[in-house]
Amino acid sequence: MDFRPLNDTERRQLIGALRGNAESDRAILLDRRDTSFLGTAEEVTDDEVIFAIKSVPCHY
Amino acid sequence: MGLLDSEVGKRRLLTVEIPIIERYNEGRDAAFKVRVIRQGASLVLRYSLKPGHNVYQLETRLVSSYPTVPPETRVLTPLKHCPHLLEGQTLCLWRQGSTRATSRWDPSRFTCVFAVQAAWRWLACYEIWHETGEWPLPEAK
Repeated sequence: MDFRPLNDTERRQLIGALRGNAESDRAILLDRRDTSFLGTAEEVTDDEVIFAIKSVPCHY
Repeated sequence: MGLLDSEVGKRRLLTVEIPIIERYNEGRDAAFKVRVIRQGASLVLRYSLKPGHNVYQLETRLVSSYPTVPPETRVLTPLKHCPHLLEGQTLCLWRQGSTRATSRWDPSRFTCVFAVQAAWRWLACYEIWHETGEWPLPEAK
């Protein structure tokens, strides 16, 4: 695979979303069509939760 | 409990896992839908994830003793060696190989789609590590 990196802005946004998810339980929103990163939200509805990452208790 | 050969396992599949996979697939591009394949006593979910600009192929295996035993997820797309990656490009998500008491997998609360979401988050961390050399999330204690 020819790895295509995130640009600085994209990387900062993604790091912020991952840390907000891990530390403050903020949801990470994904595009339902292709799972690409859309942003974050404080809350998601029950219908949206399947398309978002709310709280995944991984050990890292 | 055997996932495919016991009544409890079949009920779990039909009432929990298959409906949640169908819901996950709703409105999704064909290339990003979860496909379910039977391999012996296991079920294998094949799917693609795209946390950044790169598309990764993955498979999540639900072994016969799932959900008591957590799903195992590995990335089929070649990766650079990095933290939290086990042999065979298996993702270290739930402290695999640890005791049930220390595992972060909770069979009463999670479904196979949680494993897909956990894999997305792992890959997002990988995309950042690939460029910065630092895993963006600390290891949970």
